Amino acid sequence: MPGIDESLLEAMRLPGARGALVVDWISGLALGAVGEAPGGDVEATAAETAELARLAMESGALAPAHAGQGKEPPVEDLILTTADAFHLLRFVVTTFDSTVFLFLSLDRADGNLALARIRLAEMADRMVLG
Amino acid sequence: MTAAAAPADGSAPELLGTLAADRATGALTTRSGIFYLAAGHVVHVESAHSPALGDLLTRSGALAPAGWWEAVERAGARQRVGRQLVDSGRLTAGALELAHLGALFDAAYFALAHDGTALRFRPGVAHWLGAVRPVPVATVLRESYRRRALLDRIWPDPAVDTAPLTRTPDAGPAVLPPRRGRAFALVDGGRTAAQIASALAHRTFHTLVELRRLAADGLVAPAPPAPAPPVHPVPGAGRADWDEPDTALLRRLLDALEAL
Repeated sequence: MPGIDESLLEAMRLPGARGALVVDWISGLALGAVGEAPGGDVEATAAETAELARLAMESGALAPAHAGQGKEPPVEDLILTTADAFHLLRFVVTTFDSTVFLFLSLDRADGNLALARIRLAEMADRMVLG
Repeated sequence: MTAAAAPADGSAPELLGTLAADRATGALTTRSGIFYLAAGHVVHVESAHSPALGDLLTRSGALAPAGWWEAVERAGARQRVGRQLVDSGRLTAGALELAHLGALFDAAYFALAHDGTALRFRPGVAHWLGAVRPVPVATVLRESYRRRALLDRIWPDPAVDTAPLTRTPDAGPAVLPPRRGRAFALVDGGRTAAQIASALAHRTFHTLVELRRLAADGLVAPAPPAPAPPVHPVPGAGRADWDEPDTALLRRLLDALEAL
């Protein structure tokens, strides 16, 4: 049953992985960080990715809430692609109040986006469900 | 460090910095919370203004109350309750760490609010939860300041954090993001932010964020003051005004229990 650090280290074993974080998307706090954050600043990356995550989570058009009753967040993941990187955000679903996502930055040349997306989803589940 | 409880005059951030540099172990009490340190790192924080870890876990249904109390009973004396929850398979290490850090930073924000005065440091005192994921003092302080700035960026009215909240007359059936909608649903003219957070089993700071956004959108406002006794603002605080009667009572109870 992995903790935060074990989950991040596991994410870093994916091909092309550069850096991985666990971020709270409401406060913008990094709860854990492994590897290299894009731009070299973990706190700035955490704050900026949190803002992206929040906008996605609160997008009434793209991700409408189902009458606000389900605990399931309306968004599963986000993918942001640049010339040299894939950035992947995967929301972690918990019964208790947590509001966090796993963030993984991949080298675009070496990374496998499809594989990373599947693995990150598994890691997010395993971290909190066992 | 002496074995006796040291009176700690001065600001809590300053003293926390000194304790971190000394790699101190013990409990630092402020007007609104308690910081537990081990070898200069923050291992746990409690505040009457934020839900305790056990409440976050049990009231959300993540953990049965019986399971929580069994772990407290079995491992509390050894200060290994967190470890016990994981070892007994009730929680994954990840879930415990996320819940614990969530509660820790939430409580720290409120324990540093008010005037931030440190009242007393008791060397050697450890929390029964045990170390889950210790955090450097500097990280806790920086995050608390950042959170204050974040709230002010959203809507610079600290009264939202402490006053009973009411819906504005124009607040129709707006379509809100799920979390904001759940907070909004509990705004009834009587509840405060902390009471709304408690009812939702949510962290208080995260509820403040939603409520300040609702205030910024003009949907929620501090209720007009009742003709009851006036609330006295803390001089120099200007921000948090958490002194509800039950809070004062809780604080006295806490002090009495600690003195045992």
